[in-house]
Formats: sequence, C-alpha cells, structure tokens
Amino acid sequence: MAKTTLTKKINLYGWLFVIPAALFIFILNFYPMVSAFLLSLQTGRGNNLKFAGLKNYARLFQDEMFLTSVGNVITYLVIQVPVMLLLALVLASILNNPKLKGRGIFRTLIFLPCATSLVSSAMIFKSFFSIDGIVNTTLMGLGVLQSPMSWLTHPIWAKFVIILTITWRWTGYNTVFYLAGLQNIDRSVYEAARIDGASASRQFFSITIPLLKPVILLTTIMSTNGTLQLFDEVRNITNGGPGIATLSISQYIYNLSFMYNPQFGYAAAVSYAILVMVAVLSFIQIKVGDKR
Amino acid sequence: MKKTMCVVLALLLVVSSLAFAGGKAETAAAAADPNAPVTLTVWCWDPTFNIFAMNEAAKIYAVDHPNVKINVVETPWNDLQQKLITSLSANAASNLPDIILMQDNAIQKNVMTYPEAYVALNGKIDLTQFAQFKVDVGTIEGKHYGVPFDNGATGTFLRRDIVEKAGLKVSDFNDITWERFIELGKIVKQKTGIAMISTVANEPDFPMLMLQSAGTWMFDEAGKAYIKDNTVLKEALRITKEMVQSGVCILVPDWNAYIATLNNGTVASTINGCWISGSIQAEKSQSGKWAVVNTPRFANIAGSVNYSSQGGSGWMVMANSKHPDVAIDFLAKTFGGSVALYETILPASGAIATWLPAAKSPVYSTPIEFFGGQKIYEDLVNYAGKVPNVKYGVFNYEARDAIARALSEVMQGGSIDAALATAQKNVEFLMSE
Amino acid sequence: MKQKHLAAIATYVFLCVVCLFSVFPFYFMIVGSTNQSVDIVKGRLFFGTHLIENFKTLASTVKLGNAFWNSMRNALVNTVASLFVCSLAGYGFQIYRDKGKDTLMGLLLLSMMVPFAALMVPLFRMFSQARLLDTTVGFILPTISTAFLIFFFRQSAESFPMETVQAARVDGLGELGIFFRIFVPIMAPTFAAAAIVTFMAAWNNYLWPLIIMQSQESQTMPLLITGLTAGYTTDYGILMLSVTITTLPTLILFFTQQKRFVEGVLGSVK
Repeated sequence: MAKTTLTKKINLYGWLFVIPAALFIFILNFYPMVSAFLLSLQTGRGNNLKFAGLKNYARLFQDEMFLTSVGNVITYLVIQVPVMLLLALVLASILNNPKLKGRGIFRTLIFLPCATSLVSSAMIFKSFFSIDGIVNTTLMGLGVLQSPMSWLTHPIWAKFVIILTITWRWTGYNTVFYLAGLQNIDRSVYEAARIDGASASRQFFSITIPLLKPVILLTTIMSTNGTLQLFDEVRNITNGGPGIATLSISQYIYNLSFMYNPQFGYAAAVSYAILVMVAVLSFIQIKVGDKR
Repeated sequence: MKKTMCVVLALLLVVSSLAFAGGKAETAAAAADPNAPVTLTVWCWDPTFNIFAMNEAAKIYAVDHPNVKINVVETPWNDLQQKLITSLSANAASNLPDIILMQDNAIQKNVMTYPEAYVALNGKIDLTQFAQFKVDVGTIEGKHYGVPFDNGATGTFLRRDIVEKAGLKVSDFNDITWERFIELGKIVKQKTGIAMISTVANEPDFPMLMLQSAGTWMFDEAGKAYIKDNTVLKEALRITKEMVQSGVCILVPDWNAYIATLNNGTVASTINGCWISGSIQAEKSQSGKWAVVNTPRFANIAGSVNYSSQGGSGWMVMANSKHPDVAIDFLAKTFGGSVALYETILPASGAIATWLPAAKSPVYSTPIEFFGGQKIYEDLVNYAGKVPNVKYGVFNYEARDAIARALSEVMQGGSIDAALATAQKNVEFLMSE
Repeated sequence: MKQKHLAAIATYVFLCVVCLFSVFPFYFMIVGSTNQSVDIVKGRLFFGTHLIENFKTLASTVKLGNAFWNSMRNALVNTVASLFVCSLAGYGFQIYRDKGKDTLMGLLLLSMMVPFAALMVPLFRMFSQARLLDTTVGFILPTISTAFLIFFFRQSAESFPMETVQAARVDGLGELGIFFRIFVPIMAPTFAAAAIVTFMAAWNNYLWPLIIMQSQESQTMPLLITGLTAGYTTDYGILMLSVTITTLPTLILFFTQQKRFVEGVLGSVK
C-alpha cells in the first residue's frame, strides 16, 4: 500500500517535470499551427478572407514558382547534406586520433564558423563571390579565369555559393556531434582492426559509420530540417535570383506574406507543404536508419 | 529539500528580475519627457538620408511647437513592410507609429490592401506644390495618401574625363535615344577600354525606368497584367540585352558591386534615380570628373521622353495615430512648407526635393564642385518636373519579380516573347485566388 | 613506412586547408572593420587605420550600447529559462519514463518540423493581444521550450544511473532534490553544451525580434546590422565592425567553453 502511494507520488512528479515544457510547446507551437491550418483553408487579400476549403492546396500544384522553389530546396538537400555530413565525419575521425599533433588548435579552428550568425556568414560569402571579390581575384591571378566570373548571377553557380555558405557554417557544428560520438567508441575496437590489417578507409566504413549510426541519424534529421526551412542565406546572398533559380520555400512564403499583396491563406498552405515534406523525410530517414 | 527550493527560487528571481529590468528601462524611456504632451513616432530607414531629413524637420518644427517631440525609429524598408502587414493583419494597428516612410512603388499595394490604415490628406495639405508625378503615385481613387519626399527622377551620371578621352562631349549624351547611347558606349569602350555602364543582374532596373519614360507600366487601365503583348516592355528587354551583349553594359551580382563599379572607375556612367549622387560623391578622388545629363528615350515608341523615375518615397500618416492632425501639420510645415529644411538636407545628404518651391532656393543653383561646377540639383529638379505619370498598381512587386526573371531568361539566350509569356502567366497566377 | 608518412602529411595538408577555409572569413571580417568602406568594396585584405573612425561613426549613427545590452539580456534570460524548463522535462521524460510520456515526447518532437514562417502571423496576434511586444518575455517565450533541447537532455539523462536515483530516494531526498542536487552537478557539461547552443540561437535570432521589437529602445544586434545595409549607400567599414562586435560574445563563449561543449554533446549521443 505504502509502495503504491510512493509510486503514484513519483509518477506525479514525473508529470510535473515535463508539463511546463510541454505546455509551452502546445501553446506557442501547436496552437498557432492549428490557426495557421485554419488560415490555409481561406483565400483572399489582407483581412478580407473567406473560407475556400482545400482550394489553396490544389493551387500549389499549378504554382510554377512554388514547384521551382521545391526543386531548388531538394537540390540543396541532396547535394549539401551528404557532402557536409561526410566531410564532418572525416574531420571528426581525423581529430579523434590521439596521435594527431595540434589537435586542440585544429579542433577549435574547425568549430569556429558556428559562432557566426547566419546573416553575417551570408554577407561575408556574398562579398567573396562578388565581381571584384577575392575569389575572382585569386582565380584570375592563378590564370584559371581570363575575366571575372559573375558567380551570383549564374543559375548553377549561385546555388553552389549558397551550398558552400551553409556547408561552411554548419560542418564544424556537425563535427562536434561526431567527435563526441567517436569518443564513446572504445579505442580497442580500432586497435583490433588495425592488428587484423584493416586500412584506415576500411576502419572508417566498417567501424566508424556503423557505430555512429544514431548520431548520423540525428544530424541528418537536423540538417534536412534546417535545409528545408532555409531562409537567411538565400535572402541575404541572392535574394532568390537570378530569376527564381535559388528561391527557397521559406523565402517564397515570406514573399507571399510580406513582399507581394498579402495572401496569408495561400502562404499558410505553402508552409504546410514544408511541414509534410519534413515529416515524410524524417520518417524515411528513421526507417532507413533503423534497418541498417 | 528546503535548500533545493531556495535554489529554484533564486533562479526564478534572477530570471524575472532580468526580464523586468528590460521592461522597466523601456517604460522609463517612453515617459522620459513630461513636458512633451505629443510625441510622434516615425518609422523610416537610412540614417544619412531619410532619418537625417526627419530629424532636421523635427528641429525646424520644434521652434514653433516645443511641445511636439519626434521619435524616429530606424526601420529598414523590408522590415517596415513586414511589420506593417503583420500588425494590420493581426488587427494590432495600435502598435504602429504615427508617420511612416513608404517606397513609391509600394503605396498602391498597401493602401488598397488596408485602406482604413492610412489617413487621406485631401484638403489638409497643399499638394499642388509638389512634382505632379510624385503626387499621383500617392493618390488612390482620388484620395491623396502620400506626402512626396525623396525624389526618384533619373539622370545619366557621366564620367566627364572618360567620355572626353574617347573624343566625345558630355552634351553628346543629352537628349539622345537608347540606340545612340549604345553607339556612344561602343565608342567609349573602343577608345578607352572602359565599359559604358553597369547594372545589377537580378534587378530589372533598366526595363522599369524605360517603361516609365514611355508612360507605360506592367498593368493596363483595368489593372490587368499587361506583360505579354506590351511592346514597350519587349523593346525594353531587347535594348537591355543588346547593351549587355555589345559589352556596353556590364552585369554585376549585387548593389555593393554596382556601387564599386562607379567608385572604382570600372564604368563611364550610370543611369539611376538622382539619389545615386550620394554614392557617387562618396569617392572623393573623383571630384570634378562627373557630370549629369538626362535619360535616354526610345527611338521608335511614340510618347517616350528623356525623363523617368527610379526609387523614391513619401511620408504617410497612419490612421491609428492619436494625433493625426499634429502629424499632418508637422508634415505640412516641414516637408511641405519649409525651404529652410530642404536647404539644410540637400548639401548634407543630397536628398533632392519634390517640393517645387524649394528648388527656387539659391542652394539648388549652387555649382557643385564634384560635378565640375555643374548646377546638378537645379537640373535634376528640372527633370523631375517632366517625368511621365504611371500607376504602379497593387501587384507591382509580383510583376517586377516576374520581369526580373524574364530578363534573366532572355540574358541566358531565351526568346523575349516566351519569357514575357511566362511572366504574364506567373503574375496572373499570383493575382488570382 | 614511407607511405604512412605521406598519408600523415596528406592529413595535415587537408586539415590546414579546411582550417584556412574556416578561418579566412573571420580574418576578412576583422580586417574589414579597420578599413574604409571604399577600400573594402575594392577588396582590400590588409589591416587599415580606420578602426577608431569606424567605431565613432557606428556609435554616433546607432544606439550600439543599447542594442548590445538588449541582445545580451534577451539571450541570457532565454538561456537560463530554457535550460531550466527543458532540463526538467528531459530529465522527467527519461527518469520517469512510461508509455504516456514517450507518446508525449514523440508529439513534442513534431514541433521541430513546424517552419517558423507559418507561425509568425498567428504568434504575433497572440503576443500583441497579450501586450508582450517590445519585452524580453515576448522575445523568449516562443523559444523557451524547444523539442531539440528536451530531447538533448533526455538523451543525456539516459547515462544517469537509475541506482543513484533509487539510492537518493532511500536517503530521503525528494524528487526535486535529486534533480537539483545530484543530476544538475553531475550533468554540468551537458548544461554547458545546452547553454552554448541556446545562447547562440537567441543571440543570433533575427526573424522573431524583427516582428515584435518595434521600438528603437528594444532593438537587438542582428536588427542593427540589417539596418546598416538598408540605405541607398552602405558603409561597409561600419558594417564589418558591427558584424565583428556581434560575433565577439559567441566567439568568446565558444573559445572558453569548447571543451565542456564537446563533453556535453558526448553525454547526449551515447
């Protein structure tokens, strides 16, 4: 009898611990999300809204700009996320080697970029790739380019610069996670592999990656989510241009709400499209992660 | 247990005291001046230009109205637009200031979307003294909403020295067509190796100012998108492309690079709103080397003139203001009634008036050393009087973005007709519900 | 043996290239703050002599001290409050784990998928009705509890031995006591890592303060920076200086807390 009251009491404490945080999320996240959903069922300009059912969702499929922005974001996603995570993994496994000299300094320098704000890093990279920026000056000095290259006005190179900026800003951040994960792996596993004659790359693929699977899953979901919601970099580097070649979905939502004649209902429908994409991709990633 | 609670309480105290410290500081600041029964809050951007002008206006008004305090809040245009729409859509207009500065090309959109948010100035302020095209920009269905401020009249800003090195005269560029401009540009390029002009690749600045010079815009009388069969627009894209392909115009990726082409001497000229003179004059080593002439016109489009507008903005009084009459009186007596104000702000910031009486001030006829002694302000005000009127329309930003994209496609080798057809389709999509 | 040598050299070269790549933008930013705008636009890469002049111009055109203090206060309050709320929850989800709480946790994780752009307008409506515009409370509320941080603390608590909890209960320590007097001290690195992540996010937050901080008095550093680029002419010298000043606190935090950061993340990814 005494024991059950104790369990009850402990259980009550458990709920007391989690409820404040849960309430905050419900009130400040789920409640506005529900009102955004109700908004997505309405059409009209400014405050002259009327109920229209799923019309906004049907419109999505005819909206060339929306479809292009989805395509852009997917391009960022399939190129940037794997490259960045692989680079972070490689860096983490190099930094994890206790014999490496100057480990502390290398580690600090590699982590450094995540201390800058997104707006700052965007502005710095934009100036690098400007017409008389450092990149053109260097490449022309080396004889690679004959005349300055207009990076940010080329549909493909502009995407490249955005991908580079995100990679610069976030690789170090992901390296921290991998490094932490690696430090949990027993050194003796590597020792044994080395005695068996496994090469460094073999160790990387058959020990590091499988043992880091949970961390890789975590970082993949975080990065995917971040890329799908990409906003600051695109807005500050290319503002979506040339044309709409670099436009992201979040920026399109912003334009629909604030730059153009406001269509909040349709903008809300577009944001639900991101939500669905994030949810589907996370689900796939978790499933794939579990299987391996 | 008690100790733990102490820790929790202490933590909460720290958090709340920090939080309230913030709140207190703000209330203190708001109630700082008990002698000022009226405080007008103004949102505008650019410390060296608009904010400077507003603060000078406040000083002038304060002489006769010491009880009125002007509180200028620096708000970049994009942020201002976002805050405006967020507040109005949330029915929270009480958070908005008394006066805002608005871009000319956004006035129609904002007033049509939330007409009840702005005060109509009809009969309360004498707008006949302003350049007509600027008044029309802020007039919607017969109601005047904007007090014109920053002039957007365009001019061709030329490097006198480079042009002369090519064996040409500055006057060769006055009253010319775009075709002639391209010819002259080729000569300059050939003789000096310097490109004639530069523009930001992602922005359709040239097509826009060309449209206005012909008194045409991207919408017809009924407000429908007029892009696909718009002959002026086709011609504008064609000329822009020819300028780039012939090497007369170089494309730069952003505003920063564009200003750099002027300051570095990479180009021999620029065509833009007269406010660009501020950026040009920032490079002091080029003093005496510049000159201003009017804007090229179309050769084969009837009604096209050598005058246009780019940028520019106006003040608006918000309906939520607690003292709308004070706000209107303030604007009327300063931006719409004080020669002294314009005399102060012109030399310091290059902010050129659209209030015509100011142009009669001797300050406007002062020869400017930087422009080789040319009386540029007199000339620019003169241009402003001849700019054709256009209605920018409610969907201006949508259309502008679509043209930017069409231009980018044309530059990559796409056909003008196809690009404009896509633009028409996209704008119509955004206009539909 | 020689091959091994080569591999080692290759590794160092690779690391040096990566480091150069990650440090160069910082160099550019710091050099920029000592040069005149015209020189930066022209791509000058050496230290100049205009630092003091830039600082004077910056200090006279904007309320630098005010914005810095606002950012600092908002970020500190946000960090303390978030750590408190989320560590309690993370601990609660792990230590008192049951089916109900697991379901709740899964539900909360869904909030990570909600794009902020979708919440902006409804949130603004709520906050303006609650008169929370221009306040620190308004600033911190939407980010006070994040699924990521709760999840992070829950993962870390996994390594916290259940026996310790049982033993403490036998010793008569209350549930809150166990949390504050045993869990918090042991998990100090986790808290440090969480503090760094939260502080940085709050310090750099742009979109939300942009909407709710309406008066000049409540302006934060990121808003100040974008304000500098809004005019017809941008002074890149003072822009770079303000970017440098904005980066300093997070940089210092990062340098001093780096070890704990790694340790803290270590605890959560086991």
